[in-house]
Amino acid sequence: MRYSGVKISLLLSLCFYSSYGLSKDNDVREQEKPRDFYNSEHFTIQAPEAEDSSSASGNAYIIDGVRIGAGDDKAGYETTGYQTNSVAISARQGTKADLIRVIENPPLGLPKIPVPVNNPLTVEKIDLGRKLFFDRRLSLNDTFSCAMCHIPEQGFTSHELEKAVGFEGRSNRRNAPTIYNTAYLERLFHDARETTLENQIWGPLLARNEMAMTSMGQVIQKVKDMPDYAGLFEAAFDGKGPNIVTMGKALASYQRVLVSGNSAFDRWYFGKEANAISEKAIRGFNVFKGKGQCVSCHSVGQKTALFTDNMMHNTGLGFKRSMGKEPDKERMLIAPGTYAYVLKSKKALVGHPPIPDVGFYEVTQDPDDRWKYRTPSLRNVALTAPYMHDGSMLNLGDVIAFYNEGGMLKNESNFPNVTQSPLIQPLGLTEGEIDDLMTFMKTLNGDNIAEVISDAFATPVGDTTNEH
Amino acid sequence: MNIKKFISKPLAVLAPFVAASVLATNPVMADETCMSPYMVKIVGQEDFVYVWTLGVEGLGDGQDKMVTVDVNPKSEHYGKVINSESVGGRNEAHHSGFTDDRKYLWAGGLDSNKIFIFDVHTDPAKATLVKTIDDFVSKSGGVVGPHTTYALPGRMIITGLSNNQDHGGRTALVEYTNSGEYISTYWMPTDDNLQGAHKGGQFADGYGYDIRALPSKNVMLTSSFTGWSNYMMDFGAMLGDAEAMKRFGNTMVIWDLHTRKPKQVLDVPGAPLEIRCAWKPGNDYCFSTTALTSQIVLLEEENDVWKATNVADIGVPANIPLPVDISIQSDDALLWVNTFLDGKTRAFDITDPHNPKQVYEKQIGNQVNMVSSSWDGKRLYYTTSLLGNWDKKAQDNDQFIKLYHWDGKEMTEQFAIDFHAEKLGRAHQMRFGAYSLYGKQAKVEQAKSPIVAMSK
Repeated sequence: MRYSGVKISLLLSLCFYSSYGLSKDNDVREQEKPRDFYNSEHFTIQAPEAEDSSSASGNAYIIDGVRIGAGDDKAGYETTGYQTNSVAISARQGTKADLIRVIENPPLGLPKIPVPVNNPLTVEKIDLGRKLFFDRRLSLNDTFSCAMCHIPEQGFTSHELEKAVGFEGRSNRRNAPTIYNTAYLERLFHDARETTLENQIWGPLLARNEMAMTSMGQVIQKVKDMPDYAGLFEAAFDGKGPNIVTMGKALASYQRVLVSGNSAFDRWYFGKEANAISEKAIRGFNVFKGKGQCVSCHSVGQKTALFTDNMMHNTGLGFKRSMGKEPDKERMLIAPGTYAYVLKSKKALVGHPPIPDVGFYEVTQDPDDRWKYRTPSLRNVALTAPYMHDGSMLNLGDVIAFYNEGGMLKNESNFPNVTQSPLIQPLGLTEGEIDDLMTFMKTLNGDNIAEVISDAFATPVGDTTNEH
Repeated sequence: MNIKKFISKPLAVLAPFVAASVLATNPVMADETCMSPYMVKIVGQEDFVYVWTLGVEGLGDGQDKMVTVDVNPKSEHYGKVINSESVGGRNEAHHSGFTDDRKYLWAGGLDSNKIFIFDVHTDPAKATLVKTIDDFVSKSGGVVGPHTTYALPGRMIITGLSNNQDHGGRTALVEYTNSGEYISTYWMPTDDNLQGAHKGGQFADGYGYDIRALPSKNVMLTSSFTGWSNYMMDFGAMLGDAEAMKRFGNTMVIWDLHTRKPKQVLDVPGAPLEIRCAWKPGNDYCFSTTALTSQIVLLEEENDVWKATNVADIGVPANIPLPVDISIQSDDALLWVNTFLDGKTRAFDITDPHNPKQVYEKQIGNQVNMVSSSWDGKRLYYTTSLLGNWDKKAQDNDQFIKLYHWDGKEMTEQFAIDFHAEKLGRAHQMRFGAYSLYGKQAKVEQAKSPIVAMSK
C-alpha cells in the first residue's frame, strides 16, 4: 500500500514501551501535556490514496443483491475519516444454486473440471458436502466449521485475519487459502502436502489448531449421531453411511464445483469481446506477461488459464520470516486513523513465538525445498486478500511492490537464501505500470461470485440444538 | 439510596422479605457496586466470592470451574478455597451474573457458547451447577460469545461478542427468562439496519460487549469489543496482525430499556469495555473505559440526547496500559480502573465526573483484570486473567485472587490465593455471596456491626 504520507505527529511512537525505556523519537513532556486523545495533531495519521481499494478489509460491493466482501467492511480504517459500512447478520440470506452445471459447462477460461473416476459428481453429494462444510459441530467443541475460515463473502478465505485462528484460539502459521478453483489444483495446502480434495478434508478436521477432532472415528461417529444427517449419506452413496471415504467424497464434491471463471478478462482474451476490459487493463495484461514476468508462474494457456503453474517457489518471503531479524517495534492500528507502536519485547510478554515454517521442505525433507510454497491462482484475486502464504500483504499494491523490488533482498540475513527462485528479480515497473497491472488483476473475478455466495448463505449453519 | 428508584414492582415485593432476612440473620455491610439495579442486594460482610475460573490444559483437571472462596473473616476457612465445581471443557470462562432474585449465577463461556447456571442459594458455600444452556447459538439465531449476563426483572439479558457466520464482531443482545428459556434476540444496529437508532457519528459497527441499565432514564447502554477471532487468538499474534487490529469496536449504543430498541449509536473509538453507572439519585450518568486508547469516557444525557466524552487519560495512553475492569464506588466518589499490562489499579476521584483525577495507584501483580468492591468501598478483590490466550506468558502469568482493605488512603493486602498452586486455573470474574440473602445463618460468629437496612 502506498500512503500519501500525511504524517502529522509521532507522539504515539512510544506506545507499548515501558515507562523506563523511552525511544529517541519520543518526548516525555509531550506525553504529559493535557490533551484530547483524539486530536489528530498528536498522532501519526497516514491516509491511503483513493485508488488503493484492494485492502483485505474491504470496499464491499453488491452484485445481484449479494454483498461481496466482509459484512464488517473496514476499508479506510487507516484514516480518521473512516466510516463503518456494516450489514446485519440477518442480511446474509441466499438462494440455493445449481452448482453441478459447471461439470457439463465449465466457465469460459477454465478447463473441464477433473473429477475422480471413483467419485462422480452428483447433486446429492454436493448438497451433503455443502452441509458438512458449514457445520460447526464438526469440531471438538462444536464451534468450528470449514466456513469459519473459508468465509464465502470474503472470497472463501478470511479478510479479517492474516493468519487463521483455530480451535480454542490456537494459532496457525498460514493464511486460509481460498477454496475457489481448488478443483484444478494438483497439490493442496500452501506446502503442497496433500494430493486430492477427498483426502484433504482430514487435515483441518484433525489438526489440533484447526477443528481439533481427535480421530477419524470420532468424526464419523459424531456425524452418525446427528439426527439431521439421517439418510443423507446413504442417499448420496448407494446406501453407504458416513465413513472415511464418504466423508471425503462429499466434502470434495462441494469444493470441486466452486469453480469461478468467465471473468471480464476471459471474455476479452478467450471470448474475443473487445470491450470486456478497459485499455488500462489491457496495458496491465501486457505488463503481466511482459515486463512484470508474472505469467512465468501464474500461467495463461492458449484456451484456458489457471493462473498458476501448480509449482513450488521460494519468493524469499518465507526465508525472511524464518531467518530475518524481527523489527524492535511494529506499527499497529489502535482505532480508526490512530496508530501506536508495539515493542517486540512487550509483544513477547503476551504472545507465543511465531510457529516455525519452512514450507515445502517439511513435506519432502529436501533442503532444496526450504521456504517454497505453491503458486496460488490469481483468479478472483481481488476478492481473496490478504495475500501470500502468511497473509502478510494486505492488498495487491503490497504484493506488486514486493515483486517489483525483487522479492526479499538476499542481504537481510547473514547468509544467502540459496533456494530463492531465480525468477524473482527486480522488475523496474513504473507507477503507471503498477497501476495498470492492478487494474488487470481486478478483471479476474468470476461471473458467478454472487451466485456461489448466495448459495452458501442459503445453507444452514450447523450448531448444537436441543430440538431433537 | 432510595430503594424504590431501582427495584421494579415484582422485586419491590421481595424487598421487605429480603430486608427482614438480613435483619434476622447476619447483618452485613457490603456488596459489589457493579450489579444490576434490579438485583436483590446484600448489605454488610460478604461470606463468599465465586470466582469463574478458566481451566488450563495440563493444570489440575484442565476444566473451567466455579471456585468458591470463603471471605468471611470470622470463618475458620477465611481466605481459603472451600469448593470447586468443574463444568467440563475449556469454554473460555469469562463473566457471570446473578438473576435478579440472586438465587442463580449465570456464567458464560465465550468459546463454547455455553451458559452454566449455578444454584447459589440452596447452599451459598457451594455454588452448584444445576443447568447448562448449550444451544445459545442456535436459539439466538447465530450469536456467539455470551459475555455479560445481566439481570432485568425476571429476565436475564446477555450480551454477545460475535456471530457464527464469520466469527467477527457483529453481534446481539439475547434475552432469557430466569428459568433459562430463550425469549428474543436484539441485534446491534448496523449501517444497513439501524432499527430506528440515530447514528450520531461515523460508526455503527454492530459490535457488543457490556450492558448496564439506568431505569430512571429508561435506557440500557452497551459497549463494544471484538469478535471471536480476536478474543480467542494469541494476544501477541493479534498485535502483529494488521487486519485483526481493525476488528475492534468503536461504538456504544443507547437502548430503550422498555422496548429493547436501539435509540442512539455513539462514536467511542478504541474498544469501550466495562460500563458502570453512578448510584446516587440524580446522578444519571455512566462511565466506560477504552481498552486500546486508554480513556475514561463519560456517558450522559444532554437535552434528551446522549453523548460520550473522553474525560481523562488512564496512565500514559501511548504506553497502552490496557484498561480492563472498572468499579465505581457506591457514593460515586471514586472509580477504580485496572490496567492489565502494567498490573496496576488506579483510583480516580470522580466527584466531578467531567474531570476525573487520579488520586491513587498500586501494583497488584504482573497482570490484573477484575476488581470487585464491597458496597462500603472498604474491601477490594482482584483477579488476574483477561482471556486465556491474552494472559501474559511464563513467569508473568500471575493467577490469583487477592483481597485488599482500603482505608481511603492506602490499600493493605489481606490474603492471596495462588490459582496455579491450587491447580485451579486462571482466575477471572468474581461475584459475592452471603447467607443473609436467603434467610440463612452464617456458620460463623455473629458480627457485631450495626444493623443496616438493605441497600438498593
